[in-house]
Amino acid sequence: MNKVLQVLRDIFSFADRPRTEWIGFIIFVVMVLLFPWLVKSSYARSVMIKFLLFALFGLGWNLIGGYGGQVDLGQAKNVGFGAYATALMMVWWKIPFWLTVIPGMIFATAESFAVAYPMFRLRGHYFAIATLCVALVWKELFVFWDWTGGARGVEIPIRPTPDFAYMQFGSAIYYHYFIFFLFITQLLFMNWFRKSKLGYELQAVRDNEEAAASLGINVTNTKVTAYCTTAALGAIGGSFMAVYYLYIDPDFVMPLDLSILIAMTVMVGGAGSIWGPILGAAVLIPLDMYLGAWLGAQKRLGIDFMIYAMIMMIIAAREPKGIWGIFERIRRRGMR
Amino acid sequence: MLLEIKNLVKEFGGVVANADISLEIERGMIAGLIGPNGAGKTTLFNCIAGYHKPTGGKIYFEGKDVAGWPAHRVAKVGIARTFQGIKIMPNLTVEENVMVGAFCRTHDRHRARRDAQEVLVLLDLAQNAATYPTELPIAIQKRIELGRALATKPKLLMLDEIAAGLNPLETKEMTQILKRIKEERDLTLFLTEHVMEFVMTISEAVTVMAAGRKIAEGPPEEVVKEGKVIEAYLGERYAKG
Repeated sequence: MNKVLQVLRDIFSFADRPRTEWIGFIIFVVMVLLFPWLVKSSYARSVMIKFLLFALFGLGWNLIGGYGGQVDLGQAKNVGFGAYATALMMVWWKIPFWLTVIPGMIFATAESFAVAYPMFRLRGHYFAIATLCVALVWKELFVFWDWTGGARGVEIPIRPTPDFAYMQFGSAIYYHYFIFFLFITQLLFMNWFRKSKLGYELQAVRDNEEAAASLGINVTNTKVTAYCTTAALGAIGGSFMAVYYLYIDPDFVMPLDLSILIAMTVMVGGAGSIWGPILGAAVLIPLDMYLGAWLGAQKRLGIDFMIYAMIMMIIAAREPKGIWGIFERIRRRGMR
Repeated sequence: MLLEIKNLVKEFGGVVANADISLEIERGMIAGLIGPNGAGKTTLFNCIAGYHKPTGGKIYFEGKDVAGWPAHRVAKVGIARTFQGIKIMPNLTVEENVMVGAFCRTHDRHRARRDAQEVLVLLDLAQNAATYPTELPIAIQKRIELGRALATKPKLLMLDEIAAGLNPLETKEMTQILKRIKEERDLTLFLTEHVMEFVMTISEAVTVMAAGRKIAEGPPEEVVKEGKVIEAYLGERYAKG
């Protein structure tokens, strides 16, 4: 019993300045909970859902990319695995949504485990390129295969009545609360994780592999475990995408853009900090959505990518630790 | 015998860095390893700690042959080390750096924190617990690395040039700290050093290496009188002075 309480306390203890972070956390939670009641625009609501989805993706990617310091540009493949596991199982065998999430996570983990050992023989940029290639190969396979629906994708049939088991509701509000629930669970998991043994070992490996090995840490195994965990976390968001959009194809759930956007939200917000991915998603997702709406067809010309690239360059040059890094710096200056 | 090295050879593509080294370290002693630049001291350390795979020979630690084991397994059996250039985790606080060491023996984060705090008190670092190591002077950073190694609860602690770059006062402090942790933690110390004064005052026995070979061993005051040692090491220095 004591042990359970202790774990609960670990899950909810927010790091260094407990009070400031708790206040921020509670304000954020209340705002998101009240959001559908205050904002009536359905576009704004869909922006909010997309923000929560990408914050969820960011939290997961932060494990390997932030705490592990390994630039993984293939997270979209795991999103795709989750989305396809859910969509295909629901269409083929009419399995309720809830039972399809875990198989998706298991598949993503198993696939990552299978490719991880050869990939972690590479370091830095070469590792990043390898992850990117693996993700692109998977995407092409899903386009090529007939049993996955090929390039046409998979459509989940709409049910006549709202059905909790298949995650079909009459109103978007339900999806809002469901993605928020997933997001909070993942946030708390990450908060627990970063102060755990594996969390510290991973950070030690990121900072100095040789020193980490001298402290009894198996560097490769630590990276592989982190890589597989990240994959499982990515698949959860993918499952949500399948039931929220009701239609998926490889270009939608596993493209290169998605991998890059996930990595970018974390880097802009602050890699290796618990709040970084949330801040990054809060900046980039509304920017992406409203920019897309404003530019309309011109978006295809790549103006949005130019703006991303500029943000990325400014972040890389001025503050490698992202937006959260700026906050941290101000706070440290205040302490002196 | 805690550590027993038998006929250790390490070659780097034809260059012999360690040729037929044999040495023994008894439990509870402070052993020194000296020699001029390029003598192969760090190579020997790296072979013992699992950073290099020896070309030949055996390394017995408590009777087990650990030669060729990877570094993390060597750490688990109770051999900890510090590095010549400082290798510290810059994005973790001082306490967290030491905690990573403590996680070598426990899964429980609260226990790891308690162990780390104990080590910090032992090394007079408690007031720096929440700072980041890169904001601190070199002498303190060296102590953090020492603390991190100590937190893994080693039986043998290997220190690679722990006094290099320290001023005389800091060197003296380091000597006291080493003696204190050796008593409190029941350790065996094995150190390499350039700073002769440091290694001579602290060691109970020294081994002298030159050009990859062992050329002498014994109590420090006797070793320095040997002709070969003066020739290989002190000779060049005293000749200039």
